[in-house]
Amino acid sequence: MAFPNGGLITETNRQYYAGSQGFQVETLAQTSFTFTFDTNLALGSPLSWDPAVPEYALNNFKLYQSSDGGIEFLEVITEYNLIGNTIEFPELAPIPYGDVIVCQLKMIDGGAYGDRDAFGNIVEENYGSYAYIKLNDIINNFEVAYVGAGKLIPSIKRTDIIFHAKRGLQEFSYDTLKSIKSQELTIPPSLSLAIPQDYVNYVKMSWIDAQGVKHIIYPTTLTSNPTQTPTQDNLGVPIQSNFDDNIEGTSITDERWRTQNNGIIANNLNFVQALNGGYYYGYGNGYGYYGERYGLDPQYANVNGSFTINEREGKFSFSSDLVGSLIILEYISDGLAYELDTKVPKLAEEAMYAHILHSIIATRSGQPEYLVQRLKKESFAKLRNAKIRLSNIKIEEITQVMRGKSKWIKH
Amino acid sequence: MAINVDTVYKTVLLILNKEQRGYMTPQEFNSIGTQVQLEIFEKYFEDLNQDLRIPQTDIDYSDRVENLDEKIAIFKTFGEAVPATSGSLRYFNLPSQDAYGNFVLFYRLGSVVYTDVYGRQVELDRLQRNEYYNIQTSALTASTKAFPTYLYENQKIFVSPSTIIDSIGVNYIRKPLNVIWGFNVGGRGQYIYDANVYNGAVSPPTGSIDFELHVSEQTKVITRVLLYAGVVINDPQIIQIAAQQVQAEQINSKS
Repeated sequence: MAFPNGGLITETNRQYYAGSQGFQVETLAQTSFTFTFDTNLALGSPLSWDPAVPEYALNNFKLYQSSDGGIEFLEVITEYNLIGNTIEFPELAPIPYGDVIVCQLKMIDGGAYGDRDAFGNIVEENYGSYAYIKLNDIINNFEVAYVGAGKLIPSIKRTDIIFHAKRGLQEFSYDTLKSIKSQELTIPPSLSLAIPQDYVNYVKMSWIDAQGVKHIIYPTTLTSNPTQTPTQDNLGVPIQSNFDDNIEGTSITDERWRTQNNGIIANNLNFVQALNGGYYYGYGNGYGYYGERYGLDPQYANVNGSFTINEREGKFSFSSDLVGSLIILEYISDGLAYELDTKVPKLAEEAMYAHILHSIIATRSGQPEYLVQRLKKESFAKLRNAKIRLSNIKIEEITQVMRGKSKWIKH
Repeated sequence: MAINVDTVYKTVLLILNKEQRGYMTPQEFNSIGTQVQLEIFEKYFEDLNQDLRIPQTDIDYSDRVENLDEKIAIFKTFGEAVPATSGSLRYFNLPSQDAYGNFVLFYRLGSVVYTDVYGRQVELDRLQRNEYYNIQTSALTASTKAFPTYLYENQKIFVSPSTIIDSIGVNYIRKPLNVIWGFNVGGRGQYIYDANVYNGAVSPPTGSIDFELHVSEQTKVITRVLLYAGVVINDPQIIQIAAQQVQAEQINSKS
């Protein structure tokens, strides 16, 4: 059994897997208990030890006490203070000798103490965290290893390192780091969904069928969402409001697209639609009689629907056949939206140091060009290395994929 | 380990009195001794800057940067900055008392450290006013509790972000104490050295204060005191010899 002993792991197995840490009071009475989770303990408010306080739901842990040596636990709902990661009970109400105090971080199954109702996902958020290094640590490490007398950077302001580190994380997020952001959403009757708060670009949009299988939804170029829709007078001149700005109307293009029948565009007509002449409006070369459509353009010929990005409204707009569909939106952020995001996969740690070093040296005056070029190459090579590592290429998996490739490709 | 003030005074007198050149009173010595101590002390920081730019050897006792740091370390101390407000202005005053409970005179500011509620210590980045405005306006570099910054103006520390309202530690260099060769007057009017610890609370004060400089500075202190003593007794020969000695020391330490 391995215990934290100065290595990079700072939590015990129990802290990591079960999200709990306990103490048995070994002095006459004890008022102060310091917990050492990687996750900082948080109370919704200073008084939210009390379940009657609304912010109680915002606590990221529950505290339990056992007076029978750890057989039966009850939640502690008496007053205590949280200072950092230390829980302090009032001097007049200490935890008596022999009692066990357990802190349970909230987890999906509710934990193993009391009523087993410490529901949340704090523990699960910490799972897999060993694969990452925090940006703060990157900056601290960089200062230790690369800055100082006799080194390439004799002195530098910390803010400069922070800037280059954060810019590096943004750039890495766009094309090197794994896209770990995704949202499961249902398309409402309005056929539009707000762009996520930390969205930078989409990776993939898919709808989910009854079996849970993803079907990719492609963006369409058949229509676009206008960014301005000024209302016009009879002469076509935009009309202004009392505040001297153009009056904006709703987009007719959007409306037509919303109400269109996707089957017409996709040439996916059923018998009735075909009889009704829908096929005359098909795209590509789909004109002609039923069963005689030639030269179908494959980019429009799929049944998965399509989407556009409506910059005017800051939303994704979907084709009408996707109404009510369950979709998964996979997208990339820049890694700086939340404190929790500011982490770098360890597989890209060295690339990040190289990026910061090159950026700093390249922006300094009086640096020899050969040095800048050397660092540039080094930075590029390490970035490429990180990208390959993060691509997660495994020989067995490639072999498995290639096994199916001996089949004839049918057109 | 400090340099004994009595040793310095008596050595200086010994050299001065040779061939009946002159005499230096304790009061003169105390003033000159304090002056010399500050002169040598201030020079440490210039020397450190120069030495840091030169590759050093890591063999024991020969690393000039380490040797110099050993001399400066005598005066290194730390304490808690005191939060204060003036109207809507929030700042921290420099500590007048260090962590050991000594009342000390502040000499030079070192690193400023913030300790958060989890006990993690973060060094604050020192900014100039012009940088400060630019840095705060950039979303990427604006000060946060994880990366705080400060301005040092008017002997006050202005910490950013303003949510940091306490737990600011200051590492600094204190000023060396004034040198005092304390004495009692003997039966024949002669000065008798008072080796007791200085006590300024009584009148007249009693005891002595040694040179606080590193003990390795003893010869430097003596030659420099002699240099000034030559001026006091108006003896060009003493001045010349002492100046030569000082120059030789400097050349050796910079080569």
